[in-house]
Amino acid sequence: MSRADLAAGQVIRMSLLFRVQHLLLTVLLTVLAVTGFALMYHENSLAQWIIRLEGGVHNRGIVHRIAAVLLMANLVYHVFYMLLSREGKPELRQLFIGRQDIDDFLLSLRYNLGMAKEYPRFGKYGYKEKFQYWGASAGTVLVSVTGIMLWAEEFSMVFFPKVVLDLALIIHGYQGLLAFAVLFLWHLYNVHLHPSVFPMNPSWITGKVSAEWLREEHPLEYEKLKEEGLL
Amino acid sequence: MRKFALTAVLVFLGGAFLPGFARDASASISLEKCTLCHGKPEFRKLLVDGQIRDLFVTGDTLAGSVHAKKVCADCHFDVSEIPHRERPKRVACTHCHFKGNREGAPQSDNVLAYFDSAHGTAIARGNAKAPLCQDCHGSHAILKAKDPGSRVARGQVAETCGKCHMEIYAQFKGSIHGAALAKGIAEVPSCTGCHGEHKIYAHNDPKSTVYATHVSEQCSKCHASVKIMGKFGIETEQVATYKESFHGVASQFGSRTVANCSSCHGVHDIRPQDDPLSMVNPKNVPATCGKCHPGANPNFAVGKIHVDAKNKESGIIYWTATFFKWLTIGTMLALIAHIFLDMYGRTKRLRGER
Repeated sequence: MSRADLAAGQVIRMSLLFRVQHLLLTVLLTVLAVTGFALMYHENSLAQWIIRLEGGVHNRGIVHRIAAVLLMANLVYHVFYMLLSREGKPELRQLFIGRQDIDDFLLSLRYNLGMAKEYPRFGKYGYKEKFQYWGASAGTVLVSVTGIMLWAEEFSMVFFPKVVLDLALIIHGYQGLLAFAVLFLWHLYNVHLHPSVFPMNPSWITGKVSAEWLREEHPLEYEKLKEEGLL
Repeated sequence: MRKFALTAVLVFLGGAFLPGFARDASASISLEKCTLCHGKPEFRKLLVDGQIRDLFVTGDTLAGSVHAKKVCADCHFDVSEIPHRERPKRVACTHCHFKGNREGAPQSDNVLAYFDSAHGTAIARGNAKAPLCQDCHGSHAILKAKDPGSRVARGQVAETCGKCHMEIYAQFKGSIHGAALAKGIAEVPSCTGCHGEHKIYAHNDPKSTVYATHVSEQCSKCHASVKIMGKFGIETEQVATYKESFHGVASQFGSRTVANCSSCHGVHDIRPQDDPLSMVNPKNVPATCGKCHPGANPNFAVGKIHVDAKNKESGIIYWTATFFKWLTIGTMLALIAHIFLDMYGRTKRLRGER
């Protein structure tokens, strides 16, 4: 954190590399959702319009596959970065789900229902962020595996009977739908519509959040930074 | 334009005489004059290629047909003297059967449709073997199409087309459709059921009802109908499941290479799945799929082909789809509930702080 940031009360929350990965994820998931749902709901006139815009079903498939390859590359890079890099390793440790997260979740429920006086105090990542992170990761892996199976259908069917590919298609489509629905509702709420960030949490562009916001939403992280003399 | 086409047609077929003019000519030659020669059973002619042309025609030949009241020269209007010196031209049916004719002859767009068809355009290109009206409808004993004895009646039309399309006729006779037709089942398609009657086009002509992207629509006319298929205990979900499949979607968006019904089930030789000769018999499935998917193995035959995720009988496919449906609905409801609770609590927290 630079002196200027500190003076302005800014705290870095997303490094440049993470922002790039996040931006790629945003763009690619959008492309995959648009091209994927157009096929899934091909009876719909809007979907048909989209498919024609993409240059027919054949070209739609090409666009979908290019985006998919880039998404998978992004995921592989992310996994290696989290496992091996100096920045990634501690980040990953903070993302592990533990007993504390379940307690936090239950406490937040009790608090919101008016049954507790204290609201849970989160570290850098609260249970909401962890749910989003692991949910998205698991979803991407599932969609990638089934997607590759369907892409290389002739190769897949050397090993699997047709029914497995039918299953892969069902999982691919519905998992995509589930991921999209969660992203749209949950992520939209947490980073855009939530009263503390509305209209938008700027960290995905600037990488920074205000120290004030951090103290409010992630007090343990705030205190940690303060102890380390970074604030 | 239509009038011009009609005139062209008339001129083209040698019908250079105006109808009125032809009537005057026919009036002068009675049936009896013709049957002086043609009424003898042995009246025939040896053709150059060794074939014998039977020229025996009497008043009885026409009796009972739609032309029972016509006399020879009504159609053979180029015969103006008896005996005729030259071989009469082929009869031009369009001489009477055109829209607005004075004879009261039945007329429709069929004639024009025919001239646009594969048969009509073949004639126009000079293919002498291509059929004219009388090749399908018959020459003298012409009956209405709905008369079971007519050559274009449902039960007979396959044989009529088979006079030229012999190999296809043989295939069709062995198929499930051909076998059912032979049994007299009324719902089953003969040639015209799929190809149309007068508007017959080559299968690679986009106007054809059996063009690659039209095939599934053509088959589904009957195979999507619960009313028709119910009689024979045949499933109708095949149509919908095909449309939902990758093959079906690509076809709907105009792909001509993707599999349609006939790619897997055959065209004229469609047989039931338990027939060892059927292209969709589990034994033959790898070969059938292998036409497009190189290296197709018996795995292609494991599991239903026409699988409907919304149908309980699909087993694991249905249960997986159902699981995901409820997982998605459940997750959404939980998230929405959480969001509202969160907003409620958050608002309280903010107020409390103030």
